[in-house]
Amino acid sequence: MHPRRSLSLMHALVALSIVALVAACGPGASAAPTPGPTTAATTSVTEPTEPPATQTPPEEVTGDLLVLDWSGYDAEDFWIDFKNTYPNATASFEFGTSDADIYGKIVGGSQADVFHPYTGWLQFYVDEGLVEEIDTSRLANWDVVPESFKALGQFNGKQYFVPWDWGFTSILHRTDHIPTVDSWDILFDTQYENRLSMWDDGPGAVTVSSYIHGYDETAITDEQLEAIKAEWTAQAPLNRFYWAAEPDLIQAMQSGEVWAAYAWQGAYATLLGEGVPVAYANPQEGRNSWVGVYGIRKGTPNVDLAHRFLDAKLGQATGENLVNLYYYGTANGDVMAAISDVTLKEAFSIDDPAILESTNFTPNLTAEQRDAWTAMWTEVKASQ
Amino acid sequence: MPGRPPAGAVPETVTAGADPIPATAAGRAPSRRPLNPRRATFWALSLPAWAILLSLIVVPLLFMFGLSFRPDLRGDLLAPFNPTLDHYRQVVETASWWRQLGLSTLMAAIVALVATAVAFPLAYFLAFRAGRRAGLYLILLLVPFWTSYLLRVMAWKLMLGTEGVINSSLAFLGVIDAPLDALLYNRNAVVITLIYVWIPFATLPILAALGRIDVRLHDAAADLYASPWQQLRRVTLPLAIPGLAAAFLMVFIPTVGEYVTPLLVGGSGGTMYGNIIQDFFLRAANWPLGSALSMIMLVVTMVLVVIGLRVVQPRRLLGV
Repeated sequence: MHPRRSLSLMHALVALSIVALVAACGPGASAAPTPGPTTAATTSVTEPTEPPATQTPPEEVTGDLLVLDWSGYDAEDFWIDFKNTYPNATASFEFGTSDADIYGKIVGGSQADVFHPYTGWLQFYVDEGLVEEIDTSRLANWDVVPESFKALGQFNGKQYFVPWDWGFTSILHRTDHIPTVDSWDILFDTQYENRLSMWDDGPGAVTVSSYIHGYDETAITDEQLEAIKAEWTAQAPLNRFYWAAEPDLIQAMQSGEVWAAYAWQGAYATLLGEGVPVAYANPQEGRNSWVGVYGIRKGTPNVDLAHRFLDAKLGQATGENLVNLYYYGTANGDVMAAISDVTLKEAFSIDDPAILESTNFTPNLTAEQRDAWTAMWTEVKASQ
Repeated sequence: MPGRPPAGAVPETVTAGADPIPATAAGRAPSRRPLNPRRATFWALSLPAWAILLSLIVVPLLFMFGLSFRPDLRGDLLAPFNPTLDHYRQVVETASWWRQLGLSTLMAAIVALVATAVAFPLAYFLAFRAGRRAGLYLILLLVPFWTSYLLRVMAWKLMLGTEGVINSSLAFLGVIDAPLDALLYNRNAVVITLIYVWIPFATLPILAALGRIDVRLHDAAADLYASPWQQLRRVTLPLAIPGLAAAFLMVFIPTVGEYVTPLLVGGSGGTMYGNIIQDFFLRAANWPLGSALSMIMLVVTMVLVVIGLRVVQPRRLLGV
């Protein structure tokens, strides 16, 4: 019996030493960053100490900027203006797999200077003091951003985020199998069993249900959430799979495994470009639309370089690459106004003046909604 | 001889029959020799292992344990918080998560059983029949590890997909008219893929156990007129039991919390418990609830393993 005895003694010692270690580290470590809720006060103090971005010549700007982004967005095309303007500064990237992942990384102590969340997921950063206020006077390209986009990054009367990319969410369908789609409820149509694909996301599911049933997305009641859970639980077997990464969806639609799916228009434009017979529906309930923004992490020592990076993000060449190579909309209004390519015009519905009127913008989630809706979604998946 | 210490570890001065480090060691410590050099070497050599175990497994686990009582993720991660049992309450009240834990445990047990069963003949062949080529075969067995886990799972997608190898072969042979959808994106696909992935892993501990068997025991058994079947059942299998148990546990324990494979080949109906945990960490930014779910899985798995070993008592089962 003795080996077991000595082992448990060892465990007790280990546990004790860890408790001591944690206790010792606790106060010291927590004293260091202190992202307090007094956001407004601290930002106004730091501002004057930073020299205006225009004073240093671009070629003398050095340093490395760490960007927390989505994989794929590290491509140079997406920050070509920064690279060309500041030859002696560099940008490196770390990746998040979802908005929640990016939020978790910022909370968890990521050292990224700049991060890239999307509409719906912005309020937490401001409320919890995780994001630096943007000094728009340092952004030479700020004027090309339409007011409606600027407003998306404003909280409590201050600009916290710089809008950058945008797009629609709707139903993408193979026209050779399903010629027309006029409602989001195609996702629940049993005759397309095994040929549908929903995005693997709780808030996304709540959004679709809200459109179909006319719920107020910002005030979902417990009963409504129960109904939503029930209908997606019934829907689950109809999916070929829930898609998580866009390339998986694109591949499945190309091969004909999936005929109709919840999708972003990047997938639509890619498939269109490859000659696959697809259409992007204008559901009677309206499309969804989202905007991606960049924020500067509270406490970063690279506030100046971060502003320069965000300014360059709004540059002409970067915006054109985003539109032409990746089929996403840009917050640079000049670039959007100059689009002439037919595929792109279709992707953005540029010639359809009514499209924006019938679009549902993504509202900001509260922490409670985020938690409840994601928990609902795991229950849907777990009940299979 | 279970329970007896190896001869070399018994200090010469200890009176006959006493354990080298009796349970009451603490009380008698002053009268003993300061430190056996062999034990000192043991502790010195195991220090790096302890350091890694502590810093990379024990501390993060304790951190996660603490996190599971945290109300939410707001604020500094190391800042003090008011502990709450809300997350555990939510887990306990959600029937579908428990159901999923049960299903995942069942899947893990099936995967571990089949992988161990398939791995045993493989290991047996390598240990006793492969002869001079054993090394080569072992390398062949391990070749899949030269590529990433993800690639191997993706390869199964190519095998099982609508336009995959199996479907195209069957269509070519005229067995089917339309591709079979049922091959991929369900629970069976997850189980099949996991079994494949684990077989080489399961082979190694069994091989190690078989390698320690004195081949003369087989000769002795044969001399006593044991049939090959009796040799296997009465000599080889009992001696291989530690390896078989290690293989089963090595597959079972990580498979309960598996999440990558179901993500790739499970589709909307092949979710496992690990995916729920993953969702709370990566999709909901709800680390506390994810931690509570993880802790429950950890406890359930540990309890199951302990109960399993007690109930089954592998040695007695084989009449040793």
